[in-house]
Amino acid sequence: MIQIQNLKKSFRTEEVETLALNSVNLKVETGEFVAIMGPSGCGKSTLLNIIGMLDNPTDGAYFFNGEEVGGLKENQRTKIRKGNLGFVFQSFNLIDELTVYENVELPLIYLNMKKSERQQKVKEVLERMKIAHREKHFPQQLSGGQQQRVAIARAVVTNAKLILADEPTGNLDSKNGIEVMNLLTELNQEGTTIIMVTHSDRDSHYAHRVINLFDGQIVTESQNKPFEVNAQ
Amino acid sequence: MFKNYIKIAWRSLKKSPFFTFLNTFGLAVGMAGALIMSLYIYDELSFDTMFADADRIYRINADIKFGGEANESAEVSAPMAEALKNDFGQVEMTTRFRNIGSVLIKKNNTKTNVKELSAAYVDSTLFKMFGIELLYGDEATALTKPNTLILTKTAAEKHFKIEEAVGQVVVLENSNAYTVTGIIDDLPQNSFLRDRGVFMAMSGYADAQENGWVSHNYFTFVKLIENADMSAFQELLQSMVGKYIIPYAQRIYPGITEEQFVASGNYLRYTTIPLTDIHLYSDRYTELSPNSSIQNVYILSSIGIFLILLASVNFMNLSTAHSLKRAKEVGVRKTLGSRRLDLVRQFLIESSMISFFSLVLALLITVIVLPFFNELSGKAIAIPFTNPVFWLLLMLMTIILGLFSGSYPAFFMSKFMPVKVLKGTGSVKVGGGRIRNALVIFQFAISVFLIMSTLVVFQQLDFIQNKDIGYAKDQVLIIEDIYAAGNHVESFKKEVMQLGQVENASVSGYLPTPSYRNGSTFFKDGSSDQEDAISMQKWKVDHEYLSTLNLELIAGRDFNRDFSGDSTAMLLNESAIKILGLKPEEAIGTRIQDLDQEDEKLFTVIGVIKNFHFESLRSDINALSLSLGKSNGYMAVKLNSGNFSNTIADIEKIWDKIAPGQPFNYRFMEDSFNTTYKAEQRLSRVFIVFTILSLLIACLGLFGLATFNAEKRTKEIGVRKVMGANVFQITYRLTVDFLKLVGIAIIFSLPLGWYAMTKWLEDFAYRIEIGVEVLIIAALLAIIISIITVSYQSIKAAIVNPVKSLRTE
Repeated sequence: MIQIQNLKKSFRTEEVETLALNSVNLKVETGEFVAIMGPSGCGKSTLLNIIGMLDNPTDGAYFFNGEEVGGLKENQRTKIRKGNLGFVFQSFNLIDELTVYENVELPLIYLNMKKSERQQKVKEVLERMKIAHREKHFPQQLSGGQQQRVAIARAVVTNAKLILADEPTGNLDSKNGIEVMNLLTELNQEGTTIIMVTHSDRDSHYAHRVINLFDGQIVTESQNKPFEVNAQ
Repeated sequence: MFKNYIKIAWRSLKKSPFFTFLNTFGLAVGMAGALIMSLYIYDELSFDTMFADADRIYRINADIKFGGEANESAEVSAPMAEALKNDFGQVEMTTRFRNIGSVLIKKNNTKTNVKELSAAYVDSTLFKMFGIELLYGDEATALTKPNTLILTKTAAEKHFKIEEAVGQVVVLENSNAYTVTGIIDDLPQNSFLRDRGVFMAMSGYADAQENGWVSHNYFTFVKLIENADMSAFQELLQSMVGKYIIPYAQRIYPGITEEQFVASGNYLRYTTIPLTDIHLYSDRYTELSPNSSIQNVYILSSIGIFLILLASVNFMNLSTAHSLKRAKEVGVRKTLGSRRLDLVRQFLIESSMISFFSLVLALLITVIVLPFFNELSGKAIAIPFTNPVFWLLLMLMTIILGLFSGSYPAFFMSKFMPVKVLKGTGSVKVGGGRIRNALVIFQFAISVFLIMSTLVVFQQLDFIQNKDIGYAKDQVLIIEDIYAAGNHVESFKKEVMQLGQVENASVSGYLPTPSYRNGSTFFKDGSSDQEDAISMQKWKVDHEYLSTLNLELIAGRDFNRDFSGDSTAMLLNESAIKILGLKPEEAIGTRIQDLDQEDEKLFTVIGVIKNFHFESLRSDINALSLSLGKSNGYMAVKLNSGNFSNTIADIEKIWDKIAPGQPFNYRFMEDSFNTTYKAEQRLSRVFIVFTILSLLIACLGLFGLATFNAEKRTKEIGVRKVMGANVFQITYRLTVDFLKLVGIAIIFSLPLGWYAMTKWLEDFAYRIEIGVEVLIIAALLAIIISIITVSYQSIKAAIVNPVKSLRTE
């Protein structure tokens, strides 16, 4: 699904150029669950943003489903992102002015889906995330765990093939964190590819493969024996 | 999608009530200001367009230079209309007005007079010419016979039931009986005939039947046929001088030819002005109604545009500042597949919504403010609620304004990169600071410009009001229409002069404030050579005129009852002797011949008076002659200080005794003087209102930005306080950045303001110099107002406990 070759990303301020990613090579197969780990500032989120087509690399190649996407313009990237990719953030990033239902509905609106179809899909995914009873609430009225479930619902409502999760449990207590990880594992078991950035050793054990970044380079890669779903 | 935009826009506006209020209110104030200006300008531009065939009606003007005096007249001689009709096939009809000012009018066999402010003799073509319909009476005969008149509804209702008015007899000025032959509706306020109530048949006015080509006293309108050849008409007008004026003038100046007339530097040029241009483009020596000027329309349109721009800029500024709070939403939407265009559309819908809320508020503000504005501007403007075109235009303008105001914030916000704004820490950097700064500079530049303009207008008004105008206008009471006392004017004057509180009194129709005027041509030493001609005002006054008005004699003596020859004595002003080429002492004894047919006399100059301003300070002081004579228009009464109301009551008692049933009208000369500068006074008031509005909008914007700035710098403030900064130091730091912007605005706007106001002042023959103090006051005002606006937020931010501010980061 994803093939990254010799990828570089640098940030330039007025005087200093910082190399955030340095010659990264990575391959992710469809259906994989990959965790990216490393200390703060090692380039994890930068790599995830490039994989999620929110940002372009400075150098190197990035193939998504066989198509080179590294040099695409914003509008072209948006087109590919729509429906294919789902995002889960540490700080949930729900739109405060929209209800739970409307937040989840939003990506479907951008896909120009019919209202009745949208309704059905949103209902289904909210049921599945066990948050349907809160559909009329606004994000601020929910707990952190509930907000992250809504964010996951929003990520999967389009049947995204790839979910990118940036520290999905970072703002949650352990109980809610586990719940979220179980949800992601379930989705992965159903065939969704998941790439997750995390600081948490425990969360990384849910992944099939753990990639360690340091100073913008992949330093180690290890295979995991997957966790059991609902593990406490 | 659209519904989603509306929904989120509504909720986001609700979520930030303070921001929404600032934005909506700011925009509403700007819109209300622009709306009022637009209604005002629409009213100005609509003058006289309601008359049938208005596009084919022209007034004939005359530019005259003769006897050392140049004069731009809106009136021409009586026979001109008939001559034009006869000589030019393309003239469909003509109508003349002979203005006679106010009249006293009463129902026959009654005593009580009612004063009508504007009456005129008019030709019977009035109805056909202007498409005026009679409510009662027969158009074919209404103004054809002598001693008939028509009244407007309001004028008629003062005396009769209007349906019974036709056929009734009224008495004008206590002496002339007229039969009412028609009633017309009140004339529109936006027409040159506004406030006129009485129109008498021209056929009864003897002077109009005479062939006097050199007196210019008739406002003459012509209606040309459709697609008339204007250049042929202009040529014909120029030929009138040779064909009619010169042959007529030869009676007075035997042997004069057109060539000689021109060669001596004199001229008489006839021009035309379209009826619909008169209100804004005509400012001649006399006008049928006071006109406005296109310059005012330009000034007020600019202010209207400024206001709406200010409000729009405010919107842009506040929205981009507020975008900090919308950054996450933009990031999320983009991540979920929103294109930039979708976001632009969303923000534009939001700004249009604010624009519509503002419209509602603006209409409300307009409804509240309009009566006050009408009072300030002397207009009777109403919001045309029932006019669909008004609503259509309003909606269109609101949408355009919403889109324009929202455009910059929309493109600015839709540029946010999700990678940058979704970091989760909430520390988003909002750019666009330079543009925001530029917008603040723009707003304050306009405000400073307006402050400065207001100061200059006020200074000029103050200068006018306090300038030594050469006569004493203070404590002078003017009693109007004293001719109503008939033969008892002199005894009225005597009795009034006996009152202890009265210093002096003088009877004359001619006063330095708005009153009668009468120009005539005189000749030095009985010559009839046009080189010796002098055009002057010829005022009939009494023995007490100079002493009542404190006019200063610089040579010779005043009129004196002991000198029996004073009936042919004349006083001249400095301008007159200048034209004669004489020094004050040399002028005494000079013989001056008046060739006026009614009053052919040889006068002797007995004194020279210092120039005094008998016209507005916009114009120079022209030549003036005073001679003794009966002119029972007004009585000027110089009062001693004290209780004026008691004195006025005493004078009224005498009036009621001497002229029972006659209206007692009076005003103070000072008020009358001030009416000459009504246009400037109105302009000054309008300036004040709009300066306040523009400052209000600019301050709202600045307040919003200060709020935003304080929010953005919470962490910095916290750190500085921990490091030992005190409240003053922090307040100073937060305020000084804004002051720099205001400073730049001042640097830009002062020279512009100076230039614009210097141009405006050029309209006055007597004017102030714009002093440095005006620039300093304008700059200081802007600085003080901005410090007050910004310091509230700055102090609020500075006194927050640093622990709290650092925690929020």
